[in-house]
Amino acid sequence: MAYSELIKNFERIRAYMRDFFVYGFKSRSEFDLKSARSYDNERRRIESWLGGYMGFRQDERGKNVFLSVDSRAAAENPLYKAFKAKSFTAGDITFHFWILDLLADGRTVSIREISDAFSEEYAARFDNFDGLDNSTLRKKLKEYAELGLVRAEKRGRELVYSLSEDKVDLSSWSEALAFFSEADPLGLVGSFLLDKLDEKQDYFRFKHHYILHTMDVEVLYALVEAISEIRAVELTVLSRRISSEKTHTVFPIKIYISAQTGRQYLLAYHYRYKRPMFYRLDTIRSVVPGSVEHNPGRYSGWYEKFAACLWGVSAGEAPDLDHIEMTVRFEPHEKYILDRLEREKRCGKVELLDEYTARFSADVFDASELLPWLRTFIGRIVSLECTNKYVTDTFYADIDAMAALYGGERDAV
Amino acid sequence: MLFNEVYGAYYNAVAAILSEAVKDKITDARINEIVRDKAFFESILTIPAALKDGAWPLISADGSTPLKREPEMPLTELQRRWLKALLSDPRIKLFGVDETGLEDVAPLYSPDVFVCFDRYSDGDDYSDPRYIESFRTILTALREKRKLKIKFKSSRDIEKKWVCVPCRLEYSSKDDKFRLLTFSPRNALTINLGRIKSVTLLEPYSEEEFKPVEYRKERLVLEVKNERNALERTLLSFSHFEKEAERLDDNRYRLTLYYERDDATELVIRVLSFGPVLKVIEPEGFRAQVYERIKKQQKLRG
Repeated sequence: MAYSELIKNFERIRAYMRDFFVYGFKSRSEFDLKSARSYDNERRRIESWLGGYMGFRQDERGKNVFLSVDSRAAAENPLYKAFKAKSFTAGDITFHFWILDLLADGRTVSIREISDAFSEEYAARFDNFDGLDNSTLRKKLKEYAELGLVRAEKRGRELVYSLSEDKVDLSSWSEALAFFSEADPLGLVGSFLLDKLDEKQDYFRFKHHYILHTMDVEVLYALVEAISEIRAVELTVLSRRISSEKTHTVFPIKIYISAQTGRQYLLAYHYRYKRPMFYRLDTIRSVVPGSVEHNPGRYSGWYEKFAACLWGVSAGEAPDLDHIEMTVRFEPHEKYILDRLEREKRCGKVELLDEYTARFSADVFDASELLPWLRTFIGRIVSLECTNKYVTDTFYADIDAMAALYGGERDAV
Repeated sequence: MLFNEVYGAYYNAVAAILSEAVKDKITDARINEIVRDKAFFESILTIPAALKDGAWPLISADGSTPLKREPEMPLTELQRRWLKALLSDPRIKLFGVDETGLEDVAPLYSPDVFVCFDRYSDGDDYSDPRYIESFRTILTALREKRKLKIKFKSSRDIEKKWVCVPCRLEYSSKDDKFRLLTFSPRNALTINLGRIKSVTLLEPYSEEEFKPVEYRKERLVLEVKNERNALERTLLSFSHFEKEAERLDDNRYRLTLYYERDDATELVIRVLSFGPVLKVIEPEGFRAQVYERIKKQQKLRG
């Protein structure tokens, strides 16, 4: 099949874009390929969409392709472009513009009338175009009714079609769209809307802006739909540890999002394992909606109590909660440390022991999740205690390892 | 249906071409220009040819079109439902949008579906009328290219006045705060919107007066030891920076990233959060700051 910069399915390009964006040091031979040509085609497509963000480097393993985006400097997420590259047929694009034009005057018409108008008013201008047959018309009209672009209603025994009413004044939304198309987890929809505007506002910028999740937006959309319809779903999940795919039937409850890494997770109740589980969205290959859950309270009633003891996205392995206490000391001019403790803690409490000493304490499912945060207070921690010994042992062993790293040989890692 | 051609770059480019062709015959040169502006780098090889050879019967050989009106696609159900969902977001109050047309639409999601579990808890108060008023005044200034007089409280609780050209409105999801990037002839200043007491619109500024300060980027070189899935964690965590990663050997990688100088302290603690799997190679000053904190911690343990 001839190469096209458009694609039918997003799944394959999703993996390539992720590898180019996150890693950027894999050579052509290291990609898991059906053929070398498929790598070349995917790379060429991504270059066509995102050329300005693509770079190349040569090393002993070959040429490496990488994507590099300073998301703080960009007003728009460039990865959205990949979602604007869906392939279509000549019939699809012809139908699109003819039907919008035909119905624009507010008329309501049957398939027969559409077919006649298409032949007489549009196709007649083109010698080598055969027109659109009735079965294609029927299929496309059904699709457009589902998209909400046309309205289908009965007139006697036949279905008639008109253009959907649209009273939204999008111009009043232009600034909100510029903001939410980046700040909302489903901001891709906002990007589609921005494309409809003649002028785009470019004065918003985004700090700590993680855009890689864009690659998982189809999965996110399917999960959000299932949550709002109170449906079970069947997930196909790639286990990175064992490099295989597994299916899980779960009741989806929440989407957990990290503002500090951009990672997104599904929190769901697993029907077979009979417990809450987290799944990273970038490991979910497909989401198939299941039946409506008639007893949702049974599978989500535990949530508030559960959430109160979560630090991140781990419910831990042990049945008991971990109790953790960290005491930090700061200088008189470093009151911001106390502010940091207050605003950055996700559960637990902060107590002032004296004017310049504060203690954070919490009971959580898995205290090892706190380790990265505890390390941000390195240089100020006067005591660290935890019922999970692994946490304190790891923390202090890491301090020694870091001291050796910087104090020892300059090249040692 | 999120991945659908009706939202695609090709349909948008063709809609723009047809909008012009409806008014007057369109030239090949103009078609090419629109394709370059609206579609992808290689689209120039496909769209003009498909229109010209009648594969897509939308433009006749003479550049006219059988269409009678400029193409206008109504909002799809997905787009309406997404807009409706935004109406429940506390930040929507900042924008004063017109809600007409969304009355009977079901929102795409309810706001409690998403849990941003590591967002800081002292974010801006988007329901505060004074905050909303300041935000809207700032938007007006940005839209109309006007100067502002801003009264705000500094981080040391001192009240200040600042006459400036507003440049960018920056949002951090981690902090859940907006900051206004401004400059005057002598200086640049970033102001947290939460610290603003009042904002007054002043006269428009000229093109010559709009000279935003270019922040100097600093280069940070890190070495990653791929233990505890450190490589993926590090690359994801720093993925919002302009960066490059190189493999040094099977287990060691070099990560070079570029950051703004104001963010150095934040970056020091982010590097520390990774523990011994991440090592600062350069610059020396950054490396010294990290080592200083580690030594201090060792002393505290005694």
